[in-house]
Amino acid sequence: MPTKGIDYRTISLRDALDLAVLVEEEAKERYLELADQMALHHTPDAEGFFRFMADNEDKHRVELLERRHKLFDHQPSGVTREMLFDVEAPDYSEARVFMTAREALETALRSETKAWTFFDKVLPLLLDIGVRGLFEELRAEEVHHQELVRRELAKLPPDDAFCHEDFADEPVGQD
Amino acid sequence: MTTDLVIGMAGSGGDGIVSAGEALLSAAASEGYHAMMTKSFGSQIRGGESSCRVRLSTEPVLNPGGTLDVAVALNWDDFLKFGGELPVGGNTVVIYESKTGVAPDKLPLTGVVPAEVFPVPLQDLAKEFAGTEKAKNTVILGLLAGWFGVGSKGVLAGLKKRLAKKGPELFEANERAFQAALRYASEHPLARPRSLRAPPKLLPKLLTDGNDMCAAAAIFAGCQFFSGYPITPSTEIMQFMSREIWKYGGALVQCEDEIAGIGAAVGASFAGKKAMTATSGPGMSLKAEMMGLATIAELPLVIVNVQRGGPSTGLPTKTEQADLFQAVFSAHGDVARPILAPTCVADSFGLTVEAFNMAEEYQTPVIILSDQEISQRKETCDPIDTSTLRVIDRLVPGPAELEDYKRYRFTESGVSPISHPGMRGGNYLAAGIEHNEHGDPTANGVMHARMNGKRFDKLRPLQARKDLFKVYGDPDAPFALVAWGSTAGVAREALALAQADGLKAKLMVPYLLFPVAIAAWTSFFAGVQAGLIVEQSHQGQLHKLLRMYLDLPRGVASFARSGANPFQPKEIVAKLRRRLDNQRTDRDGQPHEE
Amino acid sequence: MTLTAKDFKSDLKPIWCPGCGDFGVVQAMYRALAAIGRPPHEIAFVSGIGCSSRIPGYTTAYGFNSVHGRALPIAQGIKLARPQLLVLAAGGDGDGFSIGGGHVPHAIRRNMDITYVVMDNQIYGLTKGQLSPTSPRGLQTVTSVGGSLEQPINPLLYVLAYGAGFVAQGTPADMAGLTSIIEEAIRYPGFAFVNVQSPCVTYGREDQQIKAHREQMKTLVSLGHDATNMADALARAQHYGSELYTGVFYKNPEPPQTFEAQARERQTQLGPSARPRDRILDMFRQH
Repeated sequence: MPTKGIDYRTISLRDALDLAVLVEEEAKERYLELADQMALHHTPDAEGFFRFMADNEDKHRVELLERRHKLFDHQPSGVTREMLFDVEAPDYSEARVFMTAREALETALRSETKAWTFFDKVLPLLLDIGVRGLFEELRAEEVHHQELVRRELAKLPPDDAFCHEDFADEPVGQD
Repeated sequence: MTTDLVIGMAGSGGDGIVSAGEALLSAAASEGYHAMMTKSFGSQIRGGESSCRVRLSTEPVLNPGGTLDVAVALNWDDFLKFGGELPVGGNTVVIYESKTGVAPDKLPLTGVVPAEVFPVPLQDLAKEFAGTEKAKNTVILGLLAGWFGVGSKGVLAGLKKRLAKKGPELFEANERAFQAALRYASEHPLARPRSLRAPPKLLPKLLTDGNDMCAAAAIFAGCQFFSGYPITPSTEIMQFMSREIWKYGGALVQCEDEIAGIGAAVGASFAGKKAMTATSGPGMSLKAEMMGLATIAELPLVIVNVQRGGPSTGLPTKTEQADLFQAVFSAHGDVARPILAPTCVADSFGLTVEAFNMAEEYQTPVIILSDQEISQRKETCDPIDTSTLRVIDRLVPGPAELEDYKRYRFTESGVSPISHPGMRGGNYLAAGIEHNEHGDPTANGVMHARMNGKRFDKLRPLQARKDLFKVYGDPDAPFALVAWGSTAGVAREALALAQADGLKAKLMVPYLLFPVAIAAWTSFFAGVQAGLIVEQSHQGQLHKLLRMYLDLPRGVASFARSGANPFQPKEIVAKLRRRLDNQRTDRDGQPHEE
Repeated sequence: MTLTAKDFKSDLKPIWCPGCGDFGVVQAMYRALAAIGRPPHEIAFVSGIGCSSRIPGYTTAYGFNSVHGRALPIAQGIKLARPQLLVLAAGGDGDGFSIGGGHVPHAIRRNMDITYVVMDNQIYGLTKGQLSPTSPRGLQTVTSVGGSLEQPINPLLYVLAYGAGFVAQGTPADMAGLTSIIEEAIRYPGFAFVNVQSPCVTYGREDQQIKAHREQMKTLVSLGHDATNMADALARAQHYGSELYTGVFYKNPEPPQTFEAQARERQTQLGPSARPRDRILDMFRQH
């Protein structure tokens, strides 16, 4: 379970929305971090795509946050970032120097799948109808996102026959 | 037609810029050119900004050169990160990736208008002909071959060899990219042709870097043991030994730390084998105690310090010449050990053999002060006739001496025959504690003075080693330059410029830095009116060291600065001229010029 | 004011290769420190030399990226000089167990409240792929051409045998677990050791990266391990190299008094008998 300290049987709609917001926030921050890594390591195609994903996650975050505010105004939250462990955020180990746009898209796909799995796993535990509805919606969103990513993947030209190792320089010693 | 071409290339690690440089270097060497390559990187292990500089000539290349004749930029951000390491001038031909979108008259080079500018669709050419954008480094090689006549034969032959293990598709893709680039070059010729003249004769060449050359020399000299610890920029010596030493019945251990690294070598030497360790500044600091031990125990040992920027962790990937004081003075107590400094890849061989010979002959640790530039720089050298090189083995006791063996027996030369465990009758106690002739511990002041005397006096023949000093130019010239290590190559070019300018100048390149061979220096400085001691250290360490042992002429000053700021021949000449002009009014012995 | 992980993250961009296990480690440290709640200015973070030793610079704590293998002596000096600080030490397997190996037993037996995190990747990364003390026998590297002839050390067994009061192992493949053991290590009132299997993406094999950890790891809790039992801990630790056990191997249920606590007691005890500093020479008076 990529969360800790959350009781899904009793979670309120307010906290569930907050959780959803944090899931997007966590993912957005991670995509930005990976984009920065790509920038520092001169891997522009992957960098561009990760920034695009960060934007997407942020858009979704903002939508969910607006919903939360409409329903629950600024009531304090019962869910914090400390309770999340890469629910949708791609793992650091996904990144690679010289990774291609295709590989970056596949990383995003795995993250969306990971998020879907989370919502799917949690659903049977939820007792609150409102929360169930929200999580079903979120789960469906992930399917939609996966479709989008798959479509982008299909648009990509095949990675050429040669890997970066065939042309890139050797690693360098720093100390 | 030009006889000398300095090419500088920059991009990111993924672009294969350094691989391209290596391919060009090998090709040029196989075609008979003299060639040299240096590299410089950002702080990332992979995929950071990456650059290399290749200098090709029909004459021997002494240093990596200054302003570029050809500048290749795969992108401008990375190129500019290297600043003064890749200087573009009014005579430079600039080649860059047209996809960067930078207009040829709007290059981000302040105050410089290059001779010719070529925005080239490198990625597109690579994609179209090789099937992958990644082959743009090969496209660059093709352009260089087409425009400057370098590597047309050699590059493809070299690539074929290097890529033999991978499928034929990879080579064929590269070949197509290369040919396409050749065509592009012929369709877009240089306004002013600048082909590199073909070398006069195709003479066989060696191509390697300073570290590998040093390690190969150790093998030649009979080194049977290597121990050490990884540290940039010396690790390649250990890596070479890891591949080779077993073949010669020798052994290697990568130890747990620098101290164990020298400790195991001390042990191997005690056991009668020629032993070596290699490190950089921080490792030398740790090895100080063991070096002192080897001195008092009179054990032969070769220690290579490939100098890098200091102090402490300093600048691990940059060169500097600031470990001379440490090499001379890091011991507690009265210690003198020979210090040798190569100036280029070629003389790294002979000098390493010399180090082993000195270690064996005088039963002492010998320090080789190489530097990051020489160690990492690949260059061509003429084949070395190893039959001309002596190999000296330590003096062992004969049967008569073993009857009543005294390990530290006072002799005329100060050198006592040395036994090793396994030799019947030669048993002795080696120790860091002061000892008498038999090797027994002593605190006796008279014996201590005699032993110190022995340890110093045995090195006296080094004072007469004029062969370890090279003087260029008229030995009676009144204006002098002194340079050591990698600076010597720059100073040699400076000398040629000064002489062409009508200056009566000479250059001293010392290979033996310590003990200070007073006679050699005195004779060099006799009649000198003005001069510079050029070196890469904030303190001007050789200058100060010489002043400890001899009187320098008033007009000789230090021209020194911190490492990672390489000298250029022109600025040495300019400084020398200013020295000449100021010599009467200048204060004596100021370490830095204005 | 509650602290969050972000409060511990500095602006310096890590030079680590994308995919490096150390990204997970530093993230776990940010989170653990946030949970502990001490502000960055009260934290001293010492390291040696190596890729993983760059870590203090990526936090907002007072950092000391010192010399190779010497994080532990420096950390002890900091802790004893100013015991109220939260003192952390970090480095790689080479930094800690090769050149630094001689300092480990003494840091353990002095038992100051210091947490030592080792990022174990069985290789020397920053210098380009040489053998490390935890490299398996037979491993081909640039300094073990033909295969390593040496047995690797077992850092878990070693540290337990030296008497460490808290020994744990984690992997970035389980971020919740890693964060939790780092937090627990920091909370432990004494010398605490955390070994993190943090793979090198440049010199390690692709089949030994985080993904493999996820598949191979076994939590000690799931094995029914009793972390208060030293014999059990030693038995489990023997499997280092063949199994990836994560969690707490050993946590002394009765932590001995730390060095600095005893020092404090001594200072308190002897304080009253102190001469004023300007009268210190009185002790040499001949009556």
